[in-house]
Amino acid sequence: MDDTLLLTKPAAIESATRPAKPVAVQAIGLSKRYGDFDALADLDLSIPAGEVFGLLGPNGAGKTTFIRTMLGFIFPTAGSVVLMGLDPVIDPVGVRKLVSYLPGDVRLPREMRGTSVLKFFSDMQKDGDLNRSLEVADRLELDLRRFVGFMSTGMRQKLAIAAVMGSRAPILILDEPTANLDPTVRGNVLAMVEEARDEGRTVIFSSHVLSEIEDVCDSVAFLRRGRLALRQTLASLKQRHRIVARLDAEKSVDVPRELASMVQSVTRDGDRVTIDTASDLAPLLSWLRSLQLQQMRVEAFGLRAVYDSVHRGVKDTSGDVDATKSNMNGSGATK
Amino acid sequence: MIHYVLVRKYASQASVLWASCALALFAFAWVRVWVTSLLDLGQFSTILEQFRDFERFAPVPFDVLFTQTGRVGMTFDEPLVILCVIVWAISRGSDVVSGELGRGTLEMILAQAISRTTLLLSNAFVSIAGLIGLVLVLWAGIAAGIATTTVTETVPPPSIRIPFTAIEFPLTNDAPEKVSFPMSDEVQWESFASGVFSLFAFGFFVLALATLLSSLDRYRWRTIGVVLAIYILQFVIYGLGKAAERLDWLQAFSFFNLYRPQKQISMVTANGPWAPWRWTGGDYESWFGPMVYPLILIVGGIAFYAAAVVIFRRRDLPAPL
Repeated sequence: MDDTLLLTKPAAIESATRPAKPVAVQAIGLSKRYGDFDALADLDLSIPAGEVFGLLGPNGAGKTTFIRTMLGFIFPTAGSVVLMGLDPVIDPVGVRKLVSYLPGDVRLPREMRGTSVLKFFSDMQKDGDLNRSLEVADRLELDLRRFVGFMSTGMRQKLAIAAVMGSRAPILILDEPTANLDPTVRGNVLAMVEEARDEGRTVIFSSHVLSEIEDVCDSVAFLRRGRLALRQTLASLKQRHRIVARLDAEKSVDVPRELASMVQSVTRDGDRVTIDTASDLAPLLSWLRSLQLQQMRVEAFGLRAVYDSVHRGVKDTSGDVDATKSNMNGSGATK
Repeated sequence: MIHYVLVRKYASQASVLWASCALALFAFAWVRVWVTSLLDLGQFSTILEQFRDFERFAPVPFDVLFTQTGRVGMTFDEPLVILCVIVWAISRGSDVVSGELGRGTLEMILAQAISRTTLLLSNAFVSIAGLIGLVLVLWAGIAAGIATTTVTETVPPPSIRIPFTAIEFPLTNDAPEKVSFPMSDEVQWESFASGVFSLFAFGFFVLALATLLSSLDRYRWRTIGVVLAIYILQFVIYGLGKAAERLDWLQAFSFFNLYRPQKQISMVTANGPWAPWRWTGGDYESWFGPMVYPLILIVGGIAFYAAAVVIFRRRDLPAPL
């Protein structure tokens, strides 16, 4: 495909600026290096309190490394991360009092029964509540009489979710929480995530399932090769659209100056034109009509498109994620 | 510094192993004492005298073994006793970090509001308490054996020695008299306290070594392999040091040289119950008293634990595989 970048303009995509809300997690220049491999590279990221915050990225992007650094399991090579003012390197116990964590690959003591596991973790946690964990287990239709060793992968996942959700810790970190779960249980888990947000807790939600992120997250960060590639609020994303249409090759697509900030990009491939909006579609409708587009199709600009753009940008620029951001955020127009 | 919930978990996790080792130690100690009574001391002496050339391989002079206390004291060098203690020490020590890492369970546990030091010390608490329990059970087995065993010994007939010669004439033609008496008349269970302490020190040293290696590793099978390799190497060094006089210096490089329960027990027989609990020489073979040797093992074990805590606190924990 011969993509020609016609126009890019600043969009409603946020850079990694600090949000106005109180900050639950703040990473500054966070780096983790293994030999010559950067698992995290100079990551600056702030996560507002009381939000469901999505972490997205391909395998090896640094999501789990970031989470494990927050919990004090691994130590940063440079930079720091603080959770509600506490640095996990200095006060790991203090940090973990604030956090309830579900690992991506849950392993529980195989010699214990489900009930014993929930009791164990509720006793261990400062804000543990066995009854709450039992309620979650009941909601997930989990048989707690079984030994963990005899549970299926999905059952173990449910058990871990029940253990983690039993806590009332202010920060909830969920790494791939719905992996191995059936659709009904997934829905239950997502509902619980929303309930946690409604209780005022901060939820950090890492997943590869984009639809789940779209459903529950307030904002999302895209990581790529240990760097922050993009940050996006879901509310603004839902305002964005992609218009795909046909237009005579001789006709040009000039964005009026007053609408420039509302158009993310315009690309042409022969007689095919793609316009990505940066915000609400309504103000652009009269301009679109004036273009005399044919076979026009309007699509919601979902996370999938953003995710693909991040990847494409990285590929096109040989891993230069800043260039991706430039592409997405836009600056200057070309023809 | 320790967390009662973790202690409860570790205790529950280790209970079957502990019960198995304890049962084996108690039963073995009891039976071992009883078997001792089956061997007539006079006949045993005659047999042992044939092997005087190999006395240097024995942990104590043969003369010590000609006493009931000395023979019961050999229990502490029995392979089965050492095996049970080592199995407990290595299995518990190797589990604390590399075991949990290998099973992938460390992540969920350490995500709770506990420090790595607390986790390690909670495990240490259970492991050390279990070790103390095992050596006490062994002692109890010995005590039970002593309390329930009757010894039968042959009393030679009265005789008279002809002056200025070595010739003895029996005064009667009757068969030698056999005398039976409770073993407790001759052997006191308290005499083995220093041996029990030595066995604990030995087990503690190996436990701490396994814990240290576990804190460095991520695979339990590798930790166990390395501990066993060190153990066997140390045993070979000790054996070589015993085998040849010119290699005697090798013994100083083996921690087996610090495990001397039989020597300590023999001191009870010779010098009273408090003789083995001395820090300085007395009539012991060096300036150091008999209690210095287990103390070195304990200090070494504490140093290993301290190193394990430092390493575990500073290391990155890999994600479960």
